[in-house]
Amino acid sequence: MPRLVEGLCPNQATRSQLILLSMFLVLLCAVGLGQNSGVAASTANTAREKTLRLAHPQIVLKDEAGQNVLTSGKPISTRQTCGGDCHDYEYISNSFHFQQGKNEMDRALLTSHGAPSFNTSPGMFGKFSIIPNRQLTASDVKDPSDADMSQPEWLTKCGGCHTGGGISEYDLRGHRFLSPDAKPVGLLDPSYTIRERETGQVIPWDWQKSGIAEADCFLCHIPKASRGERKKEMGAGNFRWANNATLSDTGIVTRKENGTFTYNRDAFNKDGTIRAEVLNISDPVLENCAQCHGFTARNTTTIQPIQHADIMRGTEKSGWIYNGAKISDTVSPNIVGKDNMDFPWDAHAAAGLVCIDCHFSPNNPGRMIQEDPKKNLRYKPAEQDLAVYLRRPDHNFARGNIPPETVNLTQHDTMRACGDCHEAEKVHDFLPYKSTHFRSLACQTCHIPAVHFWAYRSDDWGFVMDTGGSRITYRGIEGSIVDPESEIKGYLPAYIPTVDKKNNQQIRPTNLITGVYWFDKSKGRPVFTWQVQNAFFAGKAAEGEFPYRPEILKAFADKDGIIDLPQAVYDTPEKIALVKDLLKKHAGVGDPELRIELVPWAMTHGIAGKKQAIRDCVACHGKNSILARPVDLNTSLPTGVPIVYRGKNLNVVNFETKEPSFDNRVLLNSFYIVGYSRAPWVEWLGWLSVAGAVLFGVAHGALRLLGGRS
Amino acid sequence: MTSTSPLYSLHERIWHWLQAVGMICLILTGMAIHYPDRFGIFGSMANAVRWHSWIGFALIFNGFLGIFYHATAEKYHHFLPRMDDFTGAAVRQARFYFYGIFKGEKHPFETDPRRKLNPLQKITYLLLLNILLPFQIVTGILIWGADRWPVTFSRVGGLWVLAPAHTLGSYLFLAFLIGHIYLSTTGPTPTSLLRAMITGYHVEEGKMQ
Repeated sequence: MPRLVEGLCPNQATRSQLILLSMFLVLLCAVGLGQNSGVAASTANTAREKTLRLAHPQIVLKDEAGQNVLTSGKPISTRQTCGGDCHDYEYISNSFHFQQGKNEMDRALLTSHGAPSFNTSPGMFGKFSIIPNRQLTASDVKDPSDADMSQPEWLTKCGGCHTGGGISEYDLRGHRFLSPDAKPVGLLDPSYTIRERETGQVIPWDWQKSGIAEADCFLCHIPKASRGERKKEMGAGNFRWANNATLSDTGIVTRKENGTFTYNRDAFNKDGTIRAEVLNISDPVLENCAQCHGFTARNTTTIQPIQHADIMRGTEKSGWIYNGAKISDTVSPNIVGKDNMDFPWDAHAAAGLVCIDCHFSPNNPGRMIQEDPKKNLRYKPAEQDLAVYLRRPDHNFARGNIPPETVNLTQHDTMRACGDCHEAEKVHDFLPYKSTHFRSLACQTCHIPAVHFWAYRSDDWGFVMDTGGSRITYRGIEGSIVDPESEIKGYLPAYIPTVDKKNNQQIRPTNLITGVYWFDKSKGRPVFTWQVQNAFFAGKAAEGEFPYRPEILKAFADKDGIIDLPQAVYDTPEKIALVKDLLKKHAGVGDPELRIELVPWAMTHGIAGKKQAIRDCVACHGKNSILARPVDLNTSLPTGVPIVYRGKNLNVVNFETKEPSFDNRVLLNSFYIVGYSRAPWVEWLGWLSVAGAVLFGVAHGALRLLGGRS
Repeated sequence: MTSTSPLYSLHERIWHWLQAVGMICLILTGMAIHYPDRFGIFGSMANAVRWHSWIGFALIFNGFLGIFYHATAEKYHHFLPRMDDFTGAAVRQARFYFYGIFKGEKHPFETDPRRKLNPLQKITYLLLLNILLPFQIVTGILIWGADRWPVTFSRVGGLWVLAPAHTLGSYLFLAFLIGHIYLSTTGPTPTSLLRAMITGYHVEEGKMQ
């Protein structure tokens, strides 16, 4: 016992708290056992939440000097509050959720994983992202035209979700901002500058004014965390108060007009500690993860992924809804054909599983993957030192492998995967060649037969709209994504061969997102958004609209002089050549090239139970195999430009169809799908021999009859 | 009025018809696997796969019974061509099929219990039983063993090699079957050879009236 006490907060932990902690772990075990029973799981979850509130010791919210914020009135320092004597702040924040690739800026690592050379890290903090068409500026940038998103700008744009610490505490050379060593190197140092939107000039960033955003523990560990309020402060460059903003919905803090926060005395105990039931520290609940990763709820009939939050990556990218409610019970939005969908959005959600059941902390002794799949169904602490875990919980959460995603690539395939809980070979008796099927197909291939929501279809930065942004299209919806009345028809996956954990090629369902963008061959990197804007626009109007250059209007606009969506296409080589010239002339792009890139986003949630899963062999093995079905792409794709698929020029677009479509036949060539695949010469030779035998019989018989010999 | 003589023993006839039924079933189930959306007579492709495997093994077993029977009853010589069967005798038989039969000529080789197959039949069965059948058995077993011996399966090229090879063999078997059925009508009467394989008694051509 002394060892445990020492490992925990020495001045706060008690034997009773440890007992409660053990009870909490046992209750989580019950959650695991209750997977097959929604009622059992629900009961266990409720009990767990009650226990969680009791499990965490009462704490003092401290400022950066270690003083109680109630008396100092300063911003909360999680380094002092959560770190200090209890949790190892540096250890925790040196993990992916806080670093986003900052600690993986290793050229050799990128090369070994086949990441493009223009990326500086495999994570969001350093890699080029096709959706905003932007990238963190490299630390050694010399040429202003190579400067895109500086570290401060990255934090203002992306810091709403990306939880501080690491990326918002240390510069690209590892110096803590506002420390004596933290000084810019040169005028373009991306850690200390920002490109001014109005003038396009790179100017210094005032870290004294913005302050540092420490790791936002609250965002994930407080059920009432407000990412929206946090995002406002980060977006405004008010970094030091961002963690306070996350507590806006708890009643602990109140925002003042000057951007600072006050503390509400009622939320605190008399001894200055925060009231446990107000802060309510817990393991991350579904709603915590949902704030950034996509729509996730235990059981709800109203889904508002865009309306209630402005970014829901998982839902946007592949349309998944992690929700235990039946689709047929959905009240909003308008799901077409829902009356026939008497099944949950996700079978795992319906069974009561939460995100951390599979995406656990790797060194959590109770959640480590057991060799015996049956043990993975129970939350059962192993004989490891809980105190060690609680002091240094690994926040590189177990994750899968979602090609082509490179983020957190050293942690790929660490999560509790299907086979860690399910023994597929022991069921699926209807299926011949089980091993071959399981080796060749991801479980999701049959268990995500369709997506009943919308998702990204294309993001076209080839032609910039007068909003200054790209043209984004969606699949699976008729109407606007923010209109609850829009008809959501869902869509069918594209099946893509990808490499699995055991280095097997596996076919898995994906949502294909088509990107169109400009690439600077002279620099070997994509052309950044500000450069494309410079090429297309002659400045920026006061209303936020960008006025097109006369050359653009002349080439693309119709008679009314306006470029509407139908005109914003490259339907002739001359139009492409014009924009190339403008990029060279106004944006300093040496050798621009328009490119199409197809990015398959693997589907991992929205799992269907066995009744909805694909069981019909013909679906895959028939002539019209779903594995090879054409998938509609962006209707305005330019022709005659390179098509990039996973870093290679590969013609996977069929322009012969009514609308450009994804042609999967090239990728499926590595698979022989019985019933679907054909060796043409075998068919020809085979049927020729059969036809020859028939013709011989018919002709010979006829001649016999004519010859009078019966 | 016709004269008949015993030609096929009960063992031979049972063996032949088991082979025939097995082959037809294999071809049908094979079609259901190769054309699952157009030939779904077995309920599902999975059923067809299972039946195909079982029937295939039954046929292999029957094949071994046939070898055992022909070896122990010393009847294997029916299938062994002589040198002449590849040359002069084959030419005479071919001439009969392509000319003589239309002129009402007699078969160049009498069929009797000691000589059941004509030279072209011997050559055909030599190829069929020693090349095509083993080829189908080996490729079929390797495909069946994809789950059981995945390394061996991959080493021989996996489905991209085995499936087209097995399919081609199946087409050739189907072509053989069609030719075999047609040529069974070229006896003294169109059904005499078929009846012989059912009753065991053969119509003797020279004694027909």
